[in-house]
Amino acid sequence: MVRRHFTFLWILAIALFVGCSSGDKDATRAAGKARDFYTIGMSQCNLGEPWRVQMNADLKAAADKHPNIEIVFKDAQNDTLKQRAHVEEFVSAGVDLLIISPKEAAPLTEPVAKAVDAGIPVIVLDRAVQGDNYTCFIGADNKLIGKAAGAWLAKKLGDKGKVVELKGLMTSIPGHDRHSGFLEGIAGSGLEVIFEADMKWLEPDARKEMDSALARFDTIDAVYAHNDPGAHGAYLAAKAAGREKDIVFVGIDALPQEGVAYVAQGILSATFQYPTGGAEAIDTALRILAGEEVPKKIVLGSRLFTADNVKQGGEPL
Amino acid sequence: MNTSERTPLRAIATSLGSPAGRALVALLLVLVLGGVVNAEGACFKLGPHRGMLRQAAVCGIRACGMTLVIITGGIDLAVGSVLALVAVSFSLMTIHWAWSAWLAAPLALAIGAACGGVSGTLAARLRLQPFIATLAMMVFARGMAKWVSGGQKISTAVQNADGTYRYVDVPGVFRAIDSRIFGDNLSVVTLIFLACAALTWIALARHRWGRELYAIGGNEEAARLSGVPVVWAKTLAYVVCGVLVAVAGICQAAQEQQGDPEAGMGYELTAIAIVVIGGTNLMGGRGGIGLTLIGTLTIGYLDKILSVNAVPEAGRLVLTGIIIVAAVLTQKRRRW
Repeated sequence: MVRRHFTFLWILAIALFVGCSSGDKDATRAAGKARDFYTIGMSQCNLGEPWRVQMNADLKAAADKHPNIEIVFKDAQNDTLKQRAHVEEFVSAGVDLLIISPKEAAPLTEPVAKAVDAGIPVIVLDRAVQGDNYTCFIGADNKLIGKAAGAWLAKKLGDKGKVVELKGLMTSIPGHDRHSGFLEGIAGSGLEVIFEADMKWLEPDARKEMDSALARFDTIDAVYAHNDPGAHGAYLAAKAAGREKDIVFVGIDALPQEGVAYVAQGILSATFQYPTGGAEAIDTALRILAGEEVPKKIVLGSRLFTADNVKQGGEPL
Repeated sequence: MNTSERTPLRAIATSLGSPAGRALVALLLVLVLGGVVNAEGACFKLGPHRGMLRQAAVCGIRACGMTLVIITGGIDLAVGSVLALVAVSFSLMTIHWAWSAWLAAPLALAIGAACGGVSGTLAARLRLQPFIATLAMMVFARGMAKWVSGGQKISTAVQNADGTYRYVDVPGVFRAIDSRIFGDNLSVVTLIFLACAALTWIALARHRWGRELYAIGGNEEAARLSGVPVVWAKTLAYVVCGVLVAVAGICQAAQEQQGDPEAGMGYELTAIAIVVIGGTNLMGGRGGIGLTLIGTLTIGYLDKILSVNAVPEAGRLVLTGIIIVAAVLTQKRRRW
């Protein structure tokens, strides 16, 4: 009896698996017969992060404007070895160009170099690899953004005030850079960080830490969170305590459905965009495929969104 | 004469020997820790206690469900991802589709019950190890949460067909759940937690089904032979756990004002820690909701004390590990 159930489950599982894997990719690929059609492989390190979902969406939106390119996405689910395998799969599938947003620098340096050696141009997005065996790096500078946030906050508060800093994961490079940049930005001003805690990029944790900060300090002038959900969580905590009007909330990332929405709704005072570089990557890819020279490194600019400029799409820093 | 003098002492000793007494000792130790490292007196203000009761509520609701399953000798690893699935579905229904909460909440609870039902059927009827059955459900529900939400948080920024965003209001039910009553002092989620705890306590301590769960956890074969409907009672434990997790999911969504498909990572471990610190036996057959209530306060206060003192992340993890072991050691039955 029990065994029969199992057989049924197995058949169901296999049927589901087969059903899911036969997609419509083959049809599109068959259309690309001439040399004027290119396939681009995109290896994303972790689609669990909304920002990276946005990066893929930006890439896809940019690629959709060009009928002569097809982009194939793979998600390594935050697993370095899986991402390494994905790069190798793309190389053996013979894609015309590879875009990679690597999880870690060191373990992915060699697979990327092998792709370049196999004659496949590689665009590295957001996080770098070691050495210079790639075609082009496109990314933003977290330290500069943190510094800009610090400087903006110092100006906004008139060079004095008590700040709560809600940090991302301090073992991650973005968390580290957004922290040290901010300290550089407020250096010399009268701003003082009175409470700092690691909220691990998570909104519920940010709310929890902010609850503690509110209980401990009667005066808090500003919250600087390393991402917008963190700033939003802090806002919710302050709102529950009835103190949200006395505090300036600043976040980073400025995704349309998160930070920009919060600024438009009057929840955050400012958010600094951490661009995904999706559109730039497709632009650069087309130039490489057309045989043009591209710079080795492209640093993306950031944009500042405040209540005054959010309707106009923010302003460049 | 001698005995009459020693009676109160002996009474204290006896109560300290009971599971509830030992759980209280652990809670007391954590509270003493808070009294010593009190963050310049912040621990003596009302704020941290109020905050703790709100934060611990959602953990506590999950732990109540987990207690039922653990008493049968099982385990439910799927609580975190079922929570995420419910949070996402509930947000989708109330924010994006603007359904009434009276329709959305029962549906959300039904999703939780269905997930629990599948886990329960796998574990009880098909005799899979609960660890394996709920591990599969954990992965499955996380996948469903990501699928339903399209990988994005379901928030008040709703995407139009042309890719732009429009902003809708936070639904009334979210505000209601995240509000406070009694002069701003008691969170509604805390009340929901207490209601859940009371209902599970009645079921477990005063109802036949509860007795059956203890019997199954104690000795499943003996329970079967003495006429306990093992499969049915056990499956129901997972279903009720699923419903409680769904309640926690709704509360989580209301407090975040969004449904996050990544929510609840690692929540199963917190729930297990709360149950075990309370003194419920992981092997099944012994324990109760009262103990879980104390466990919820212990973990809640520990978390709060570390947070108010702004202890860095590394130190927090190390300290939490040490304190969990210390608390469980005080639980351990031993000869004095």
